Amino acid sequence: MFSDPPQPASPSAGRPAAGNDEIKAGRSSVRSATGHHDIKAAGAQVIEGADALAPAAPRDQAGLLDPAFLQRLEALSLVSRRRVRGRQHGERRSLVRGRGIEFDDYRAYEPGDDYRYIDWNIASRLDRLFVKLFSEEEDLDVRLLIDTSRSMAAGAPSKLLLAKQLAAAIGYIGLVNLDRVEVGVFSSGPGPRLRRLRGRSRAFDLLRFLEGIVPEGTTDLSLALRRTLDESSRRGLLVVISDLLDPHGYEDGLLRTRHHGMQTFVIHVLAEDELAPRLSGELRLIDAETGRAVEVTIDADALRAYAEARDAYLEGIQQFCFRHSIDYLRTTSGVPADSLVLRYLRQGGLVR
Amino acid sequence: MTFGAPAALWALAAVPVLIVLYLLRVRRREHVVSSVLLWVKSQPSWAAFRPSRRVERSLLLLLQIVAAAALAAALAQPALLGWTAGSGDVVLVLDGSMSMRARDVAPTRFDRARAEARDVLAHLGPDRRAALVLAAAHPLVLVPPTADRGRLAAALAHAQPWDVAGDVRGAIDLAAQLVPGPHGRIFVWTDAARSPVPALPNVTARILGTADENTGVVALRVLPDADTARVLVRVTNFGHAAVRAPLRVTRDGSAAYGATLALAAGETRTVVFPVSSPRGKADAGVLRAQLDVRDALPDDKTAEALLAPAPLPSVLLVGPDDPPLERLLRVAPVSRAAVTRETDPAAWRGYDVVILDRVTTGAVPPGRYLAIGTVPPNLPANPSGVVDAPDIATWDRRDPVLRFVDFGDVHVRQALRLAPDSGRVLAAGPSPLLWAYESRGMRAIVLAFGLGDSDLPQHVAFPVLVVNSLAWLGGDTGGLQAGQTLEVPAAGGDRAMVVRPDGTRIDVPARDGAFAFALPRAGVYRLTTPAGERAVSVSVGSETAGLIAPGPAAAAASQPPVQRVLARLALWPWLVLGAAAVALGEWALATRRRGGDA
Repeated sequence: MFSDPPQPASPSAGRPAAGNDEIKAGRSSVRSATGHHDIKAAGAQVIEGADALAPAAPRDQAGLLDPAFLQRLEALSLVSRRRVRGRQHGERRSLVRGRGIEFDDYRAYEPGDDYRYIDWNIASRLDRLFVKLFSEEEDLDVRLLIDTSRSMAAGAPSKLLLAKQLAAAIGYIGLVNLDRVEVGVFSSGPGPRLRRLRGRSRAFDLLRFLEGIVPEGTTDLSLALRRTLDESSRRGLLVVISDLLDPHGYEDGLLRTRHHGMQTFVIHVLAEDELAPRLSGELRLIDAETGRAVEVTIDADALRAYAEARDAYLEGIQQFCFRHSIDYLRTTSGVPADSLVLRYLRQGGLVR
Repeated sequence: MTFGAPAALWALAAVPVLIVLYLLRVRRREHVVSSVLLWVKSQPSWAAFRPSRRVERSLLLLLQIVAAAALAAALAQPALLGWTAGSGDVVLVLDGSMSMRARDVAPTRFDRARAEARDVLAHLGPDRRAALVLAAAHPLVLVPPTADRGRLAAALAHAQPWDVAGDVRGAIDLAAQLVPGPHGRIFVWTDAARSPVPALPNVTARILGTADENTGVVALRVLPDADTARVLVRVTNFGHAAVRAPLRVTRDGSAAYGATLALAAGETRTVVFPVSSPRGKADAGVLRAQLDVRDALPDDKTAEALLAPAPLPSVLLVGPDDPPLERLLRVAPVSRAAVTRETDPAAWRGYDVVILDRVTTGAVPPGRYLAIGTVPPNLPANPSGVVDAPDIATWDRRDPVLRFVDFGDVHVRQALRLAPDSGRVLAAGPSPLLWAYESRGMRAIVLAFGLGDSDLPQHVAFPVLVVNSLAWLGGDTGGLQAGQTLEVPAAGGDRAMVVRPDGTRIDVPARDGAFAFALPRAGVYRLTTPAGERAVSVSVGSETAGLIAPGPAAAAASQPPVQRVLARLALWPWLVLGAAAVALGEWALATRRRGGDA
């Protein structure tokens, strides 16, 4: 049940979750990544740059990420459980075998093959010509899609702040690993988008873009994902950060990402008050997004019914993601972003 | 506990209205949430919108109901009639009017008054004295001031309203004499249907009754004729709405008359119809008039009257020869007449009326006397000489004795100079010339001059005067009304049995030569004496006795002295304070709790 959150697998691995923080990591579709990349230490420039981008200030008001946290992020990389085909040489093994430096396989020589890749040692032993195949290291398409509907303003701190912090952290990890990072927001449709970020130097653009996001509009995840996926057929890692409080449903949009062959990771952000409303009496509840009003008499029975509906709804999302090999992580806005990234996203298989 | 304005209890109907308004009103606190998606999905929570659930869960509503009920109760002016302070005596005055039999206050107004009077007695300290006064046709002190609670309780239990319009004002005056001084308290239970309660500083009035619609038989009389009789039935609608009243008159159970009377508000309708009534027949039957109307006062829907005329008196003439008078007695309506010169009262036994004609006697025993030219010494009208040629200047034409009597041409040569101490003067010149006296067992008429000293026998007034006098002296009961006391000459008997209209029997001893008993109810009374059995019919004491509309409580309360007394006992200020406190608490609670509504 929702009221009994699982404890972190390794409490010592990071900051302990707060008593009421809700963490669930779906590992239903986790597959071991075949590629391997060394994690390079963050340079002093990055730290300086990150420090300039994230000044020490209250979490809700100033920089999204703490400089020390940024420094720790440089030791991480995003995990792609599939071989993807990038556009530029990167630090990720490509589907395309060719001129990379990492040996992958042999095949028989065919006319036209580059002589330089003939393994002469084998030829001398077997009197047959084989060429060596190398995995071409390409970049990873990382798309971060942030729900900026008005409902994301709920929570203390707000769900949107956590979403931006997570997007900043994941995006930063991608940038330092030379992945191609794209950040977009959505509400009732695709919103502003920051495309083709690559390299550590674009971290400033990423963070500035994220800081400028404000909550507005209503949630239509399906429409937003359809338009996003229609713009590019490239596969890659798609990270959706949303509260999934979409009256139109979340199923169509997420299924579409699967049909496009995207590796989808859903980070479900909820506010404490959405999980356990602290309301009572005769109320007229007004939907922050749609303005729809519902008159309720909230007492113990009503709260019990709400909890049942909530559990069923969250269980439905979890089961849906499990069935369709979509990674799923649920959290509340009160959980610190560094704890989420360094601990739970690691457990969830998004970073390593 | 009493209510000064019980009709205000209808304000309690505001309580269900309050509940309905509570259910209908929409006063919810608006609260913005990120999404109502989960609230909509929580279908069972919609059950929380059931009105019954809201009602049963709402403390605020409960407080509002308590406040409204307290206010409604305050409007009814509840008061406690018992008290613990004070040291004076108490007089309980119960209105004994017929209207107190109305059943709009269960079981009847009088029974309610009786119960509340018992409550007052129960709250009195053991050393406090109390008296009980019944406001019947005349104020009756049922129990003088006493601390004997048992006696008071017994008197209360036996007290019953009469078929009269009670003299409440007289009863209060009498009560004020019973408890003189500033500490005496008078509690009055009445419906004030005919007159408001007088404003006295020490009077606490309790107005009973709510209904005002009543239609009743106010008179049933038989007017004898030669061989027939005419029956008069009078019906009055005391209410404020027109009614159709089916009237049925039976004679010994057989239908004698029937009609449906359409009576406008306040209208009185008189019906006269003939019935056969053979003269001289002792028992010609009982007429019973009945109205088929249902209202709060069923007691005045029936009336009974005797069809037979009253028995004629027997007359003894004592004195010297008096040819005109003797000739008249031969034809006058008397059962028998005799003449004697014997002045010993022992020789007069067996006669209803004794005519003392110019004879000097000693003190006469109680009885019926027509004294002509003489005054028995025990009558309070001792003559002081004579008056020559007195002129009969005035006479009371309304008195039954002088009905149809005209003294205009009568001349008197000499008359006794009467100096009555009591009684009533019926005709007078320089001195009383015709004087009537009535006291316990004694009824007398004194004509101050002898027939030979005037030309009265030559006038029509003579036989009319004698016949009227004999009828009055003989106890003509044709006009008896409830509330009166009937005195019948004992004629030598010592006990009589009276059967009242309701069937109760009372044993009446002879006192001062007569059987005297009260007539509290209308109907036919049957009297059994050693001389025989006779019946008398009694009509309602007043034609306004059927007024049942209670007097306005506000009028009584508006009189400052009464109001001041009531205020000391009233509960409504406390109820108003309680309602205000509850309303304040409800407001504080509503503004403090989250999601609450005031």
